[in-house]
Amino acid sequence: MDREIEVRLVVRLKAGDPAAFEAIYEAYRPRLFGFLVRLSRRRDLAEDLLEETWLRLVTRSATLADDARLGPWLFTVARNLYFSWRRSRAVDASRTSELDPAWPAPEGGDSPFESAARAELERRVEAALACLPLRDRELLLLVGVEGLTPSEAAAVCGVPTVTLRARLHRAREKLAAAMDADRAVPRAKAG
Amino acid sequence: MARWEPGDEVDEGLSALRVHDASPERVERIRARGVALLAARRKAGEAPAGRGAPWRTWLEPALALGLGALYLAAAVTRALAVYR
Repeated sequence: MDREIEVRLVVRLKAGDPAAFEAIYEAYRPRLFGFLVRLSRRRDLAEDLLEETWLRLVTRSATLADDARLGPWLFTVARNLYFSWRRSRAVDASRTSELDPAWPAPEGGDSPFESAARAELERRVEAALACLPLRDRELLLLVGVEGLTPSEAAAVCGVPTVTLRARLHRAREKLAAAMDADRAVPRAKAG
Repeated sequence: MARWEPGDEVDEGLSALRVHDASPERVERIRARGVALLAARRKAGEAPAGRGAPWRTWLEPALALGLGALYLAAAVTRALAVYR
């Protein structure tokens, strides 16, 4: 979202403008949901946390700074809600490695070859992400998928930027290794 | 060891992940709740004699002080009348 538009939307939201809320909602909802569903790997939970995140934005909008950055703010709330949920349930999500069976099927639009190649790459990335520890996964989602800068992601995760860069580098290496391993398995089976 | 470079398959794969969305029912429910909350907040802010009206911040203490002073004056007057 363009920075000038974002600042104007924040000011209007603080004034209680429903149209501003709807514009922000349309811009960030799919990104937030994608982040939450890949973090939690549960669609029902992701939807609950998504709703709570948006209600937090509305109820706290009057206290937002005029120059608040909505993306990092929303991802911070969503992430903290998920970690609160984990603490309250004492669930170790890293052990539930199965992807949600209700995950939507790939959409068409390209040539069959392109679609197949993209679907295969996507499947491998999703599977590799699901195998990673939660702390690595959240960094890759925030920076690699959602496009936050390392400093924004550091603010979201509550760690120094230097620490985040080091963790991000390790997380990327783990993801690459997991994807390589995933590709090696079918080859081994074929051989 | 795997390295993270621009153009890597990993980078490409992460940035190409599809966007997902909540169910249409949930999307609409959240939108409606958000808009309703904002409308309620706006309405409360526009109420002329609402809880947050600025004149209440000084009028209520002033009335309390005035009534207290009257009560004290009446008590002193009664005490003086008894004494005389």
